[in-house]
Amino acid sequence: SSQQFSALTELLFRFLTEPKEVERFLTQLSDFATMNKISLGPLKNIVKSILLVPNGALKRNLSSEQVRADFIALGLSEEKASYFAEQWKVNSPTLTRLAVGQTLMINQLIDMEWKFGVTAGSSELEKVGSIFLQLKLVIKKGTQMENVYIELTLPQFYSFLHEMERVKTSLESFS
Amino acid sequence: WPRLSASHFASRQAPSRDAVRQLCQQCFSSPPAGLAALAQRVCPSLAAGPEEAEQLVFALHNLTRHVVYRGLTKAEDVLSLFPENFHQNLKNLLTKIILENISAWRNEAQASQISLPRLVDMDWRVDIKTSSDSISRMAVPTCLLQLKIQEDVALCGNSPVVSALTVELSKETLDTMLEGLGRIRDQLSAVANK
Repeated sequence: SSQQFSALTELLFRFLTEPKEVERFLTQLSDFATMNKISLGPLKNIVKSILLVPNGALKRNLSSEQVRADFIALGLSEEKASYFAEQWKVNSPTLTRLAVGQTLMINQLIDMEWKFGVTAGSSELEKVGSIFLQLKLVIKKGTQMENVYIELTLPQFYSFLHEMERVKTSLESFS
Repeated sequence: WPRLSASHFASRQAPSRDAVRQLCQQCFSSPPAGLAALAQRVCPSLAAGPEEAEQLVFALHNLTRHVVYRGLTKAEDVLSLFPENFHQNLKNLLTKIILENISAWRNEAQASQISLPRLVDMDWRVDIKTSSDSISRMAVPTCLLQLKIQEDVALCGNSPVVSALTVELSKETLDTMLEGLGRIRDQLSAVANK
């Protein structure tokens, strides 16, 4: 029935927009099965097939019109196909953002910490009393985190800041 | 490796023990860049020509630093560093002075030793990500930052190791980083204005 279909669709999209909530999704699915007196096994299979549609649509950047057409071609009623396509339209910004977020990043910078240091030793006389900056960068290499420690002199820091501001301008001009 | 030759001391009056002691300290503490100036300063007290003074100062600098950085602690080890025909008494005196000062000098070296790797260069580039396995069309700008990092100079001696690390920053990460860098700049201004 159309009510069941919309309930199921809602369920699916809630999962798609929060893909980490697997437990919750499975619980809700089995509740749905019980409430509607459907057996869970076949329902899971149907859901698996349905889930392929939004994922494929994302990969191919399909418009909601195209999604609707696809569903109709698969044999779904116009009403249900339209409803799904509507839901797709509403949720696609979130889904797109999630897909982009999953895109490969090379040594992603996760976090940065810093502290100042002062050299006071007398065996490097020219550095008495000079301030330097210690940075700790947390980097994701593959699946692991790595800490990288670097020291910068103050002139290097100002230069770094200046360059990063240039990067920001560049990134903004492309958004 | 230090070339202390007997001739550096042979032809002149032996300076006093205290003078030698002080010279050793000065030679150890001075950075390589300051040795020439140090040589000029001690020239008169050594009654040596400028060239000889410079050679002497360099040799003492290298000798004292070698002992500290290699962690030598025994008299035999230090004595073995001197060339064979080196003036015996002077050799013993220098060794004694060095051994007396080793732990103080080691502390001095550690206090000033910058043990973190240093940034030597940095490059960046902005790419536009256009496609990926999860989404076939997009236009997402991203920053690639390459940092050239040199390992601790004291550990590498004359051939420092420089490695290149490339990191990727999303726009959000860059904004957060700039906030952090801004706070650093503010802290520095506050200190400068005190």
